[in-house]
Amino acid sequence: MSENILEVKNLSVEFHTPEGITRAVNDISFDIPKGKTVGLVGESGSGKSVTSFSIMKLIPSPPGKIAGGQILFEGQDLVQFSEEKMRKIRGNQISMIFQEPMTSLNPVFKAGDQIAEVLQIHKKMSQKVAMEKTLFLMDQVGIPKPSQKYHAYPHEMSGGQKQRIMIAMAMACEPKLLIADEPTTALDVTIQKQVLELMFDLQQKYNMSMLFITHDLSVIADIADDVAVMYRSNLVEFDTCKKIFSQPRHPYTKGLLACRPNLDKNPCRLLTVEDFIKDGVEIESPKVYDDKIEKNLDSEDTLLEIKNLKTYFPVKGGFWGRVIDNVKAVDDVSIKIKKGETLGLVGESGCGKTTLGRSILRLNPLKSGNILYKGEDITLYSKKEMRELRKKMQIIFQDPYSSLNPRMTIVDILREPMKIHNIGTNKNERVDRCKWLLEKVGLNQQALNRYPHEFSGGQRQRISIARALAIQPEFIICDESVSALDVSVQAQVLNLLLDLQDEFKLTYIFISHDLSVVNFISDNVGVMYSGKIVEYNTARNIYHNPQEEYTKTLLAAIPKGVPKDFLTV
Amino acid sequence: MSSNVSETSMDLSDKMNSMINSNQDGTHKTKSLWLDAFNNLKQDKAALFSLFIVILYSLVAILSALGIFSADWNKEVGPSYAAPSMDYWLGTDIFGRDVVAKVIHGTQIAMSVGLVSSMIAIPIGLTLGAVAGYFGGWIDEVIVWFYTTFSSIPYIMLLMSIAFILGKGLTSVYLALGLTSWVTLCRLIRSEVMKHKNRDYVQAATAIGGGHGRKLFKHIIPNVSHIIIINTSLQFQIAIKSEVILSYLGIGVQGQPSWGTMIDDAKLELARGVWWQLAGATMAMFFIVLAFNILGDALRDALDPKLKGK
Amino acid sequence: MKNYIIKRLLYIIPVIFGVCFIIFVLFNLVGGDPTHMLLGKHATAQQMEELRRTLGLDRPLLYQYFDIVKSAFTFDFGRSWNTKQEISTMIMDGAIPSLSVSLPGFILSSILGLIISVVVAYYRGRKIDTVVRIACIAGMSISSLAYILFFQWFFAYKLSLFEISGYEYGFPNFLPYILLPSIIWIILSIGPDVRFYRTVILDEIYQDYVRTARAKGLSEIVILLKHVLKNAMIPIITYVVIQLPFLILGALLLESFFSIPGLGGITLNALNSSDFPVIKAMAVLSAVAYILFSLLSDILYTVFDPRIKLK
Repeated sequence: MSENILEVKNLSVEFHTPEGITRAVNDISFDIPKGKTVGLVGESGSGKSVTSFSIMKLIPSPPGKIAGGQILFEGQDLVQFSEEKMRKIRGNQISMIFQEPMTSLNPVFKAGDQIAEVLQIHKKMSQKVAMEKTLFLMDQVGIPKPSQKYHAYPHEMSGGQKQRIMIAMAMACEPKLLIADEPTTALDVTIQKQVLELMFDLQQKYNMSMLFITHDLSVIADIADDVAVMYRSNLVEFDTCKKIFSQPRHPYTKGLLACRPNLDKNPCRLLTVEDFIKDGVEIESPKVYDDKIEKNLDSEDTLLEIKNLKTYFPVKGGFWGRVIDNVKAVDDVSIKIKKGETLGLVGESGCGKTTLGRSILRLNPLKSGNILYKGEDITLYSKKEMRELRKKMQIIFQDPYSSLNPRMTIVDILREPMKIHNIGTNKNERVDRCKWLLEKVGLNQQALNRYPHEFSGGQRQRISIARALAIQPEFIICDESVSALDVSVQAQVLNLLLDLQDEFKLTYIFISHDLSVVNFISDNVGVMYSGKIVEYNTARNIYHNPQEEYTKTLLAAIPKGVPKDFLTV
Repeated sequence: MSSNVSETSMDLSDKMNSMINSNQDGTHKTKSLWLDAFNNLKQDKAALFSLFIVILYSLVAILSALGIFSADWNKEVGPSYAAPSMDYWLGTDIFGRDVVAKVIHGTQIAMSVGLVSSMIAIPIGLTLGAVAGYFGGWIDEVIVWFYTTFSSIPYIMLLMSIAFILGKGLTSVYLALGLTSWVTLCRLIRSEVMKHKNRDYVQAATAIGGGHGRKLFKHIIPNVSHIIIINTSLQFQIAIKSEVILSYLGIGVQGQPSWGTMIDDAKLELARGVWWQLAGATMAMFFIVLAFNILGDALRDALDPKLKGK
Repeated sequence: MKNYIIKRLLYIIPVIFGVCFIIFVLFNLVGGDPTHMLLGKHATAQQMEELRRTLGLDRPLLYQYFDIVKSAFTFDFGRSWNTKQEISTMIMDGAIPSLSVSLPGFILSSILGLIISVVVAYYRGRKIDTVVRIACIAGMSISSLAYILFFQWFFAYKLSLFEISGYEYGFPNFLPYILLPSIIWIILSIGPDVRFYRTVILDEIYQDYVRTARAKGLSEIVILLKHVLKNAMIPIITYVVIQLPFLILGALLLESFFSIPGLGGITLNALNSSDFPVIKAMAVLSAVAYILFSLLSDILYTVFDPRIKLK
């Protein structure tokens, strides 16, 4: 018997579709040693999820097919296993946790019963015994009052609690290998930290092996022993975690490490994967960026001033549908933004940051407060005046898939704001401007007559930026504009935003849940918590000298992005 | 009908595709969602064949309406109740009229019933549904009450009542079908508009200064219009089937042959061994209803409302 | 929850008013003067005037409208113009034959449909799935009239396996008469049923929680019967409940072909003899039934779906 619980040897997985055969995983090999954690890193479409599903043999077939190679689990080749034999392994010897805790639990069964079910089928426990064991497990994964929560339905729990239920379910039979497929991606940073710690503790306690799949290298830096990096269906690097972080060999790994904003560094631009590898060719000496120069914002040039802004969403209830309560999405926020500044708004989901952004643009009805744009109170503006003003204030949304009208070509999308605001006198002039805009955001002119669905997420976000720029705005709100993108693409878009700011003297409000991104791009930062700005300061001060307890908690929750051994050194 | 590929693999292969696409930027031809849908449809042989049948029936109906086909359906061409033969492929009826000509004329009636009732139902359903979904509030409540009221009377009961009150004949069949079938469309459009209203691209239209008209007509309606096409395919088959029932009840088409009146005639003919009118009308109806059925399903798959590329 | 049910209950009032308004517009406004039809061409103006008075058609329109609304709550529909019978009695008498045909057919086709769609969902994408799918669509593409005509002619007339038509009251006397109509009912409704159930079940099969269940090591059959079906039953139950009012209306065409003296037959007779009060009564009755059963189905939804229950 080897020291490895799992050995993947020359695994290839193909998808057979009418359009042809796609090789999602191409001839990859790696091992998972007993009692160790292996991180599998890659961007969307790199084949990392397909790999993990292959180990469980949960690849939907057809169209998926394991085209070659072996998956040796304790020396036995799982590829050759019958479905029936495989069922005895799943949930018992190898179990799995998924990315979406919201949808991964059956909505019509009680949470406890879903855990107990695993014990009943694999350990042949009676209902009573299984229930007792379930309560123990729920306690162990940190669910408060297990005997109550046992009878709760999934929708009555928070995202973090659901993921804990999933972990309890996976741990129920004390598996030898746990596969975790992006288990914390959908969670807030503070919850992510708790879940990661829980998983690490359980892994240590039961001396279990773990395969941790993620797109974010920093998440696994603390917990992985070995790391495998996947890039376009291939495994490009497999080494110890320490080596990967200290001496990455493959240019893609180097790029991946460099493109993520880091709290400790302060470059003026981010390196991207393209700075290391282009068209499959390694670039020997990537550029080095200087540190960010702090902007001089001491002038009296205030562009936007928000005074005591409140946005409440009424909660209707009772018999007549009266307003019985209000969700105070934005609760008495006051803030000033100078011309040319980037204000970062950071907070966890539900803190009101998105609502604040939309309220400033008056896309939401306000409850009270004033918004002074260049000294004029725009809350008093008529519809017509507001429409005029929209030329100056723009927004870029989070979801690159829903923010562009799927039935319009790019040229129509870009031309629409110009038509509304009479920019350009005729069609040709406007089309010329569209071409110029595309060039500015780094897209080819050929994009003009295409439709949004023909572009990747990053390209669509560039189009959204071009649309916002079409009417020469002075002020842009970026609402989680890079959150849906892969890290390497994220770096490109962030660089683009900074370039455009320099060129057009733009003022940004940058809304994000990601503290390191906000730190990189912002001059000043506001930390939001339940509708209020709890702390406001320069980016540097917020990160190096936080005052409020909540800010400290948030900062502590950010994955360090460095293996723990490094910290002690 | 749901595809048999699971979510995961869809996601994965979508990602693959977008990856491949982004690699070959500048080389592939651009295509709108409509063209994309048509290309998907082309892959589906059954759907393509159904489309062919629909076009064929439409042509027959047009030629019949122009008097090029079956203009003399009323002429006595042979003996009463002649069995199918080389002379009369589908035999003759009690007055010695050619059943083939009657079937063709019936095709004209059937297709026109589907077309006209759709043309009545679509404007009503689209307008009310879009207005209710977009504006919400009390406007929505009134419209929802209105269609709930309409749909509370069972379809066949309402259909019969309207057709009966308006009197016999083709016009009242058109009206009765049109006035009963806008509800489904209205409901679908309303819920789809509500979904799209909150999508970011509509918010973006507000942010660039677009008004209600622009948002509704330029952004939302083009994105929900596929529902009209899918629903029309459904509407045709319901209309064709309903015409048969109304004709049987004696409140349908009068004075000219339709599939309904032919099947109604068969009531007395079968006992005498005359099966060809029933067979002719049933077969003619079978193929077109089947075609609309398959086409409706295929259209639903091809025009999938989920945002492409995700 | 309680508020929701009370609100939902009160909502049926404006809907009933609306339904009655449609019926009023159709029969009292657009429908024109029925005295012509009833008295024939040679009626004198005086006769017509008299008849109008006895039928209550001379009363103000508002009164006529409220008569309809009243009937929706009291089920007192007056008398038939044709048979002069009390309409509520006619409906009571017709309900039993109607239900004796529709209820067994409905129950059997629902159960059979569910079994078939579970089997088909298990073998999804395979040959048997395709065959059933095609059979459903093909079966639905044939006119219901053609089915009835052919089955009656072939099985009852030609092969003499069943009664051609007629009805006898009382169990088990009616059994021979309802046999063939029930079989036809099943054949007519199984296609749409299977199609709907299959779609609902397949929609659930591709949900994330099914993937979790597979990762737990559950067998495909357990996943289908336990996890998927419990979710799919929510829309299926509401679909079944919403169909119940149509059972009361009876199988219009079946009753007419097989001379079953049910509500469907009563409605058709009324149509043929321009018996306005009976048609109106049937429209009001079926609408009220529909409104009540959709209320029931909405309430059941909140009972069966834990996601709604506690809101």
